[in-house]
Amino acid sequence: MQLLDIRNLTIELETSDGIIRAVDKISLSLKEGEVHALVGESGSGKSLIAKAIVGVLNSRWRITADRMHWQGIDLMRLSPEKRRKLVGQEIAMIYQDPSSCLDPTAKIADQIAESIPDKGLKGYFWQKNKQRKERAIALLHKVGIRDHTKILSSYPHELSDGICQKVMIAMAIARSPKLLIADEPTTALESTTRAQVFRLLKSLNLLKNMSILMISHELEELSSWTHGLHVLYCGQMVEAGPTKILYKTPYHPYTNALLKSLPDYNKDLSHKHEIYALKGTIPTLQHLPIGCRLGPRCPQAQRDCVKTPKISTQQEHSFACHFPLMTLDKNKRNQKCNQS
Amino acid sequence: MQPILKVQALSKAFKIRDKYFLRKKFQVLDNISFCLSKGETIAIIGETGSGKSTLAKILAGAETSQKGQILLEGKIIEDDGKRKTSCRDIRLIFQDASKSLNPGITIGKTLKEILLMNTDFDDFQCKETIDKILLKVGLLAEHQHYYPHMFSGGQLQRVALARALILEPKVLVLDEALSSLDPSVRAQTVNLLLKLQQETGLSYVLITHHLSLVKHMSDQTLVLDQGKVIESGKTQALFKQHKSKITQRLLNC
Repeated sequence: MQLLDIRNLTIELETSDGIIRAVDKISLSLKEGEVHALVGESGSGKSLIAKAIVGVLNSRWRITADRMHWQGIDLMRLSPEKRRKLVGQEIAMIYQDPSSCLDPTAKIADQIAESIPDKGLKGYFWQKNKQRKERAIALLHKVGIRDHTKILSSYPHELSDGICQKVMIAMAIARSPKLLIADEPTTALESTTRAQVFRLLKSLNLLKNMSILMISHELEELSSWTHGLHVLYCGQMVEAGPTKILYKTPYHPYTNALLKSLPDYNKDLSHKHEIYALKGTIPTLQHLPIGCRLGPRCPQAQRDCVKTPKISTQQEHSFACHFPLMTLDKNKRNQKCNQS
Repeated sequence: MQPILKVQALSKAFKIRDKYFLRKKFQVLDNISFCLSKGETIAIIGETGSGKSTLAKILAGAETSQKGQILLEGKIIEDDGKRKTSCRDIRLIFQDASKSLNPGITIGKTLKEILLMNTDFDDFQCKETIDKILLKVGLLAEHQHYYPHMFSGGQLQRVALARALILEPKVLVLDEALSSLDPSVRAQTVNLLLKLQQETGLSYVLITHHLSLVKHMSDQTLVLDQGKVIESGKTQALFKQHKSKITQRLLNC
């Protein structure tokens, strides 16, 4: 069953210079128990999408969507109170910078206790408090923190980033949500803690059948365990599909460039040799090019690229490009055939 | 060939608080030695708290060691904690370029300050050097009138690189300078660094936890754990064959 189904999500910001379209017609669907990844550079609108799903964007942003369904309920039509209630119960989010997202003035114990729902607790208030404490300890154990007494009685600034991130995850899973949105959960972490966090998320997905929407800019870490991949560029969906297929045969020049910029991905790259990289940098939101937003940087750009490309789909693999790489391959092959 | 940078038995300990009014020693770096030749890159990997960043700061002169020597081209520049020359030949790039640049002054002014502090150039020479260095890192000379907030992350990293290169150093220390960048920007920066190395024979000390970058860029690798050198050797050989468990754990994730 479709858990989350989004069609043509557009997020706009009104400024004095006119409307800026930060996210342009993005479609996304997520089944139960799947792990999907949103990949893109900073400024491509990944975090905006996550915030729009949870509904925490401030009112200056204008969000429109043809469809934004959560298990068949249209989130756009719900009143804010109802939506908050629904989202609060079933969707949880982990933010990018754990040590600054936790409340610096409260102890970890209080912060975790706050996120534990009242529903599962029974008895008088002293019994409830006791149960809350036990739940908090159990949650910490679940995310791999053994030394619970010390952690519970400390403030966020006393803990390392890795532990803060684990505490955030513990708070997120306290309500046992159906969907976990992880917004770059590992950017601030070291490689060993990063591996631990990934292992934790992976086990949550397998054991509890929790769906995860991962947001990241590191392709290499996502390759092994995500089911689907959505590549964003400047707020446009560039390519989407099952991870394995996308890794094998990227159709869009941008996905191709992303993959090629990983030294691990291309095996024939010699030591200290130049890595393939697109020229230029990602444009700012005020100066977006018309049509395909990759246009000015794209090596295959032609005249048609000033029109916005439509999304074409082949089986589960969809992409938005006038001149996808596979046709080039085919042309080359045809040429070869003709020559021979 | 004589190595450009030689580090001999470098040690440093911090004093941290213990029970009551006592203080205890905490060994950050313990007997570290390595050599770096011209045009080569040495990568330093290790977990948090293994002393990587302290080593970078000591090399650049931002902190002092307590024992051991640092030799640059055969001359001792730091002996048992006494720094002899200024920071001209070894320069450091920090992790976050946007936080390490002064937001209140233009890029040109930032770069000029360094020249005023370290050289006796007049105004014209300063301007010429700044123009040249900005072109070298792939920016335009007009960019010197810009403030740091007007640049994107990748461009800021280039500015930071310009700031490090303006004194024509022999060794560049990159303390996690590449990890916070986006993949395509990172690829561009790596290309720029490799090009500079080929052209001018710069040596790099690369501190990172990106193993693919280590594999791609470095000639030697040094594995640190709790201030000690666990393993060292040629990068390719080390990735294929390593002895200690700590290296194994670092390379696996």
